Amino acid sequence: MSPRYDAIVIGGGHNGLVCAAYLARAGKRVLVLERRERVGGAAVSEEVFPGFRFSVFSYVVSLLRPEIIRELELPRHGLHILPLESTLTPLANGDSLTQWNDHDQNRRELARHSLRDAEAYEEYGRRMHQMARAVKPLLAMTPPDPASLHPRDLLGMARLGGHLRGLGSARFHELCKLMTMSSADYLDQWFECEPLKATKSASGIIGTLAGPRSPGTAFVLLHHYMGELDGVFRAWGFAKGGNGSVSEAIAAAARSWGAEIRTNATVARVRVEGGRADGVVLEDGEEIDARRVVSNADPRRTFLEMVGEKHLPAEFVAAIRRYRFRGSSGKVNLALGELPRFTCLPQGGAHLRGAISISPSVEYLERAYDEAKYGEFSSRPYLDMVIPSLLDPSMAPPGRHVMSIFVQYAPYRLNGGWTDARREAFGDAVVNTLAEYAPNVKSAILHRQVITPADIERTLGLSEGNIFQGELSLQQMFFLRPAAAVSRYRTPIQDLFQCGAGTHPGGGVMGASGRNAARAILGEGA
Amino acid sequence: MNARAVVIDAGANELVAAHVLARRGWNVLVLDRTAAHAEGGTQAAGWVAPAIVRDLELDRHGLEIQRPDPWVTAPVADGARLELWNDVTRSAESIRRFSPNDAARWPAFCEQMSTLARALEALSMAPPPDPMGEGVGALAELSGIALRMRSMGRQGLEDLLRIVPMPVADLLDDWFESDALKGVLGAAGVLHLHQGPRAGGTTLHFLQNHVGCAPGVFRPAVSNLVRVLGALPGIEIRRDVDVARIEVRDERVTGVTLTGGEEIPAALVLSGADPRRTLLSLLEPGWLDPEFVRTLRGMRSRGVVAQVTLTLDRAAGFETLAIAPSLDHLERAHDDAKYGRVSQQPYIEARAGNPGVHAHVQFAPYALAGTSWDDAHRAALAELVVRTLDERVPGFGARVTARSVLGPPDLESRFGWPEGQMHHAEPALDQWLWMRPTPDLARYRTPIAGLYLCGSAMHPGGWLPGACGYHAARQALSGH
Repeated sequence: MSPRYDAIVIGGGHNGLVCAAYLARAGKRVLVLERRERVGGAAVSEEVFPGFRFSVFSYVVSLLRPEIIRELELPRHGLHILPLESTLTPLANGDSLTQWNDHDQNRRELARHSLRDAEAYEEYGRRMHQMARAVKPLLAMTPPDPASLHPRDLLGMARLGGHLRGLGSARFHELCKLMTMSSADYLDQWFECEPLKATKSASGIIGTLAGPRSPGTAFVLLHHYMGELDGVFRAWGFAKGGNGSVSEAIAAAARSWGAEIRTNATVARVRVEGGRADGVVLEDGEEIDARRVVSNADPRRTFLEMVGEKHLPAEFVAAIRRYRFRGSSGKVNLALGELPRFTCLPQGGAHLRGAISISPSVEYLERAYDEAKYGEFSSRPYLDMVIPSLLDPSMAPPGRHVMSIFVQYAPYRLNGGWTDARREAFGDAVVNTLAEYAPNVKSAILHRQVITPADIERTLGLSEGNIFQGELSLQQMFFLRPAAAVSRYRTPIQDLFQCGAGTHPGGGVMGASGRNAARAILGEGA
Repeated sequence: MNARAVVIDAGANELVAAHVLARRGWNVLVLDRTAAHAEGGTQAAGWVAPAIVRDLELDRHGLEIQRPDPWVTAPVADGARLELWNDVTRSAESIRRFSPNDAARWPAFCEQMSTLARALEALSMAPPPDPMGEGVGALAELSGIALRMRSMGRQGLEDLLRIVPMPVADLLDDWFESDALKGVLGAAGVLHLHQGPRAGGTTLHFLQNHVGCAPGVFRPAVSNLVRVLGALPGIEIRRDVDVARIEVRDERVTGVTLTGGEEIPAALVLSGADPRRTLLSLLEPGWLDPEFVRTLRGMRSRGVVAQVTLTLDRAAGFETLAIAPSLDHLERAHDDAKYGRVSQQPYIEARAGNPGVHAHVQFAPYALAGTSWDDAHRAALAELVVRTLDERVPGFGARVTARSVLGPPDLESRFGWPEGQMHHAEPALDQWLWMRPTPDLARYRTPIAGLYLCGSAMHPGGWLPGACGYHAARQALSGH
């Protein structure tokens, strides 16, 4: 008798749902098992305080692949993305820098700070656009294994080589630089305006325990230009109803093709018989058979907890143990009685509808990192904030607001460990930092939710609270993600696949790992 | 009469280049800025590659490579010392006192690092691969490298690709638990580098410093290479002369002019000065494309080392003493440098010499925040070194009779190290192989025909003294 399911997907995060949707779309019988009471993983909306809805963890849509939006018909399933038009960087001296999506507005504002940078910005934008175009095909590529002699891998290497050589010298060398430089060094070549460099370089440190001066952080600068390429939406967007509606739209798409989704279903282990996965065992002992198992859990949980070392080669286990998580970020969600009034722009206005970044200088970010290196949270952290209720009033009661604050650095391995008291102290550091720029915020706070990397790990099952299922560092990218022999969404266990951000191309609400995995399972990805 | 070639500067790279050219029939004149061998300039830090030894028959001419044993001694709290030797087993014995686990892992670690260093040696002893190279030759060269890499086997290749870009701190944390051991090893990952051990790419530097060393030895060797090359017949060396200008006509080099106005015609000029000085100071402006100049200005060469020489009235009481008690010590020392301060608890490596003690002090950044290097900074640094050594070696301070300090600006003026950076271009991942020192210049050629670069800024870098000059001279010969 053949099992009831062609595939079980462990974990209903956005990548698991994307993978399930693609498999179901191809006619496979798919079951998604989600531990929590709702799907979405880190992309969820919850009413944390009565009347106040939050994108509790991830909070913006920047990188969701346009082909996924198109192929899974997500707008039809309820996805509506509201663009974030600007990024405001308030400064201690009462001035500010706002980067606008609108070209002329951006140029005028930048010229106020540095005429030279306003000029350079044009060329920088063109260069990044070119480079994003050069890199884009690599995101959808199943990484070839350079040590393999399998024709598939040789062909993959040849294709990769051909692609890189096809870029031409200038772009190839620029790509090499972007892969290896620090974001601060890279931006120093272009700009002189500190808040501009700092705010841009901040994107290179997100989710990784590295500072803007750490080599390897420049690459992420490109991500900002990826979304723009396809003209579907601008660099950053916010999903109506919060990021949970991204997950719900993907889940709805999956269901429309017949996928089943069960919540409150915790997988205890993957059943392995004779070197192949043939089902899962839930926490309550229920066993479910399937022809294959796809894990959206991170590599550590998948292999060391759900599969178990005894089924795996020792070298592979060592590689997974080495794979680095080091969660470094936290989240503070505020329910506000009134909008924050920033000293630099007290009158309110369009700048509040975009992102707000506390990143006055590269040195500010680097010092925030210094504390985290030695096991302390940053006393004056980098903050990236949005006020979703300004774009989508349904998120908060009338006249009130929700503010979502992404915070770095909050190291998972805090000296002395995370306790309730330390969590509140961390929350205080965030609010105090924000209050330096918007003094009314302290009295405006009605409720506060503080999330540490330890909370992220406990709630979502992301090891060490790393939001990308593993650091996005050079040695953990492409065919090394998560380990050399299993970078192609396959694993040492036959019929067990991975589809999470712990595989190429990695983190962000991008969905590419889920899509690539589905293609590999369906035998489409090269 | 043979055609004349001029070589600017007289370090290991420049002298190797001069001799390679001379052996192919060129009439070579080396122009040295210093009056005689400057103190410290006669010693070349780094192992000498066999190809150079063979081609220039350096064995017959008295080349000696010093391999101190133990290669490092590190004082640890309560008077204990960690000693690492050229012999793997003997080091393991010393490590065992601090961590039996680390001692057990030492031999496997040494073997893996040795394997990786051999792969880097192979890369270093050929001109940099050119992934964008056109034509059959370039493709053959790339295929050759690909094959050589594959021949390392799956594990070897994976290790190379995974380990080289790592922070050296992560590499060492994967292997060891003893802070003392990780500190002295980690120091090799940041030696002369404006990075802390947690920065990506410091493992590359760690491995490059290991090239040519015995398994388990992680400090560059020291040799008398410069002295041997200086005494080797076949080239003419003029000392105490400064090149003011490189002369160009119709985009081809025609010679050099000295500061005194003397013109020396030459069909070939190899410059060991760093690329910025060579191309932006010694050339008339206007020969170069603005985009090329922008890239060249972006080359990083931030010096972070001061050299302190202490004269003693008695023996130092140690051979080589490293003060790098942990990875965090190195990282915090670098934190100071990031903000333009001299580390108050620096990494110090002191070597007993004749006479006295030479101390490598890191981090002492070239650019200080809000001030610049002066005698007060030098005196404070010497005091810091003496005090630090005195804390580890009882009675050391009382033996010191004189102190001299070379800060990064002094290293720049004395040895021509730009911003005091020994490698001329910082040896980071983004300034490695075909990107060293910039992609435009990676093949030793410049936009001016007949003008080549042969200094440490070039591939493979200052790790292997003479290798940049060796490749540059061969490149120049093939271009002529």
